[in-house]
Amino acid sequence: MTITTELTGWTGLQFFGRTTASVSHDLKNALAIIKENAGLLNDYLLMAEKGTPFKPERLKIVADRIDQQTRRADTLIKFLNRFGHSIDEPLATVDLNEAVSLLAALTQREVAMKQATLQLSMGESPMTVKTAPFWLLTFLGHCMTFSLKALGPDKILRLQVEKVKEGARILFSPLSGLQGAEKGGFPGDAEIALLNSLNAACHIDPDAAMLIVNLSNR
Amino acid sequence: MRVLLVDDEVDLASALAERLDLRGIKADWVTTAHAALDKAEAVDYDLAILDVKMPKIGGLELRQRLHERHPRMKFIFVTGYGSEMDFNKVKCQEGETCYMVKPVDIEDLLKRMKDLLGQSGGDQ
Repeated sequence: MTITTELTGWTGLQFFGRTTASVSHDLKNALAIIKENAGLLNDYLLMAEKGTPFKPERLKIVADRIDQQTRRADTLIKFLNRFGHSIDEPLATVDLNEAVSLLAALTQREVAMKQATLQLSMGESPMTVKTAPFWLLTFLGHCMTFSLKALGPDKILRLQVEKVKEGARILFSPLSGLQGAEKGGFPGDAEIALLNSLNAACHIDPDAAMLIVNLSNR
Repeated sequence: MRVLLVDDEVDLASALAERLDLRGIKADWVTTAHAALDKAEAVDYDLAILDVKMPKIGGLELRQRLHERHPRMKFIFVTGYGSEMDFNKVKCQEGETCYMVKPVDIEDLLKRMKDLLGQSGGDQ
C-alpha cells in the first residue's frame, strides 16, 4: 500500500513541522542556559580579577549546569536526527519499543506543557513490525496529542507496547477524561487515512479508559 | 530597579537573575505564572522578564494579568522561537513591552531594560 493521498501527505508535513519546531524550541532553551551560565563563569572570572570574593563552589554548580544542558542538547539532536531519518525508507522493520521511546522524546515538550507525566512500559525486545516508520510516528504523535487531552486529574499517561498474535499493539492509558475528549472525534479523517496507509487499526475502549493501536506485520 | 524573572527553565532563570544581581539589579526569579502573580503582590517590581511559552499560563496571559494589577510594570518577553512568529502575537505597546529571542545577550538585555524604564547607564 502506498501513501499518496493529499490528506496524509499534509498531515505528515504538519507533524514534521510541529515536531521540529517543538524540539528546536527545547534546543534554544538548552543553548540559552549554556550561554547564561557560561556568562556567569565569565562574571566570576572578572570578579576574581578585581579581587571581589566569591564562593568557589559556585563554579562547580555552574559548570555542572553547562554539562547537563550540553547533554540535553546532544540528546535532542540525536532524536531529531533519528526522526529525520524515519522518512528514508517507505517501508522498514521497526522496533516498536524504539519507536515509542522516540515518540516520547519528540513529544516531551508537549507533555511538559500539559504538566503530564509519561510512563513507558516496553514489551519484549525487539518487538518488530514491518511498517512505514515516518507515518507510524505521525499517527502515534496524533494519538499522543489526543491522549494528552483526555488525561485524568493525576495527568499520568502510560504508553504500553504489547505483542499480539499477528503483530503488536500500543496502548495509551489511563484516559479518564475520555468521554469529553471523544466528542472531539478520534480518529478523524487524517488519522483514518494514516491508519489505512499503515494497514493498522485503532479503537477506544471507554471502559478501560484506553486508546488501542493495533499494528500488523504487512 | 527591581526585576522579576519568570521562566520554567530553572537553570536559565536562576543564572540570569544572578547575572543581573552581579550588575547591581535586584532580580527575583520564579518558574510559574502563579508564583509570579503571588510574588508581584508582595514586591513592587519595575519590570518583569517573561518567557512566552510556559505550562498552564503562558507569558502573554501573565503579562495581561500583571498589567491589570500593576499598571506601571514594564515587560520584556523572551522566547525560544528562532523566528519572529511570536512577536506578531503581542500587541507591543511602545514603551511598555519588548521582545527578545533566546539566547539573549546580557548587555542587550540591560539596554532594553534601561530603555523601557527610561534610565541612563549609571542610575540603577
